[in-house]
Amino acid sequence: MKISRIVTVMVLGLSLMLGLVACGGGGFDTSRNITVLAREDGSGTKSAFMDIIGLKDKPDPAGVIIQPSTAAINAEVRNNTTAIAYESLGFVADDVKKLSVDGVEPTVDNINSGSYQIARPLAVVYHESSLSDEVVKAFFDFMQSSEAQAIINEEGFVPVLSSASAYTVNGALSGTIDVSGSTSVQPLMIELAAAFEHLQPNVSVNVSGGGSGTGYNNAEEGVSDFGMVSEVFNSERAPSCTFTNIARDGIAVIVHKDNPLTSITMEQLRGIFDGEAGAAAITTWSSLITN
Amino acid sequence: MMIKAYRFIKARDYLMRAVFMLCAAFSILALACICVFLFVSGIPFIGRIGFSNFFGTTWHVDSQAYGILSMIVTSLYLTALATFIGVTTGLLTAICLFRFCPKRLIPSIRQMVNLLAGIPSVIYGLFGLIIIVPFLRDYVSPNSIGFGLLAASLVVSIMILPTIVSVSLDALNAVPRSYYEGSLALGATSEQSVFKVVVPAARSGILAAVVLAIGRAIGETMAVIMVIGNSPVMPHGLFQSVRTMTANIALGAKELGGDAATALVSTGVVLFIFTLLLNISFNLLRGGEKREKKRTQKTDT
Repeated sequence: MKISRIVTVMVLGLSLMLGLVACGGGGFDTSRNITVLAREDGSGTKSAFMDIIGLKDKPDPAGVIIQPSTAAINAEVRNNTTAIAYESLGFVADDVKKLSVDGVEPTVDNINSGSYQIARPLAVVYHESSLSDEVVKAFFDFMQSSEAQAIINEEGFVPVLSSASAYTVNGALSGTIDVSGSTSVQPLMIELAAAFEHLQPNVSVNVSGGGSGTGYNNAEEGVSDFGMVSEVFNSERAPSCTFTNIARDGIAVIVHKDNPLTSITMEQLRGIFDGEAGAAAITTWSSLITN
Repeated sequence: MMIKAYRFIKARDYLMRAVFMLCAAFSILALACICVFLFVSGIPFIGRIGFSNFFGTTWHVDSQAYGILSMIVTSLYLTALATFIGVTTGLLTAICLFRFCPKRLIPSIRQMVNLLAGIPSVIYGLFGLIIIVPFLRDYVSPNSIGFGLLAASLVVSIMILPTIVSVSLDALNAVPRSYYEGSLALGATSEQSVFKVVVPAARSGILAAVVLAIGRAIGETMAVIMVIGNSPVMPHGLFQSVRTMTANIALGAKELGGDAATALVSTGVVLFIFTLLLNISFNLLRGGEKREKKRTQKTDT
């Protein structure tokens, strides 16, 4: 008796679910809520983005989905038609849509000319004294060489040095270099490391992620030779260290491919990402998209 | 000569005994280190920022608000919901395997349930992120958000299934067969005998399974981070981005420094106390079960 009742309930539940699956689908529904994606506290991308759009130290809006890495943000925007997120421009793939901000497209040229405003430096943080190690110094020089500038350009980032000289190979060099930190800088650093290892076969460069916070901490404590950070250097977070900007990176505002929106204003971004926006808060797509 | 060999053996014995002692001491030392680390850096911090700040509802690192009440509540909700789903399914699975399942299917089903225990938690998280969250978002959720307590509870309930099934099945098997047969002899059906006689007789073992499952559910981190949304607010519904204590620690551990990092350790203290209480209650239940067994054995003879 009991068992058969349970089985009946289960079968009913399952068919209900399948029925719901069959009913889904359709075009973009502007009445749906905006799913706001953000990075965790301490992330370089987050602090740079919030800072630039004028929401420094403001809390996230209620209902924000926090994902701990650039890759996780990208994956969610690719799958979720209602999502909006910010992400390092060099990391944005073709399977999501970049929005123009105040009518300016997020391209390398526009970042270079300063017309696209949401951009931040990518930097390495290090102890001045660690450059006395010739292997570390060689990699530091390489990051500012013309070879490195070419790679930075290729990867979709903006070089900061207008004139750079070629890197001179030192055949006697051997050792290991440890670099860790921002997941926004990581893909670029991996490319730079590979090119450097190609020129200096006896040197190996270990690149690991962890976020800008990790970059500051590891550089400060000497765990890594270089810490990667993706924001304007904050000396409070690594007091005994110094920094060098290696590139500039735009932060793109991204949405799902099926989203009809193509452009957004700073004002609207503040309405979406400010937890204290009050009446100015934007929570549904219909506030952004007018048919 | 003899004496020399004897001395050598004796010295070797002492040496090996010391090695074994050292190994045993290592795990105790590890536990002691973790306790000391947690309490020394965690407790004074709670005192410094104030009890009401730490157990407040606002977690906002930039304005020095370290309230974890919303995360405690979320952890408890998640644990309760996941345990409810997991125990219902797991207990019925165990009962099925105990009496109603065709005999030749039992080993393969047990094996598969146990296999669930071996899957890394990040895989569960991935499964939740790719299958469960989009499904809930598109077909179930009223506000088109898939992340939240329901998604996390479903994922965690699958993760705790093997614990519940195997521990409660052992408990059912430990009930003397005479109970079941006696009940049949009195005219009860097989189902009545199992649900009204065998299951109540195995209740302390089943309770132990529940407590173990709760312990696993409250501590789960990776899979939960991927599907719960991680927004540090009070939970008001099943489809809302919320954050558990474990997620708070894991998210901030790499990025935060200073006071915020210490706040994470204090979160760890609260979590540790919760799991400690669970462990103690598990041991009490186990003790109760042993006493009960002794009593039944006495009455049997």
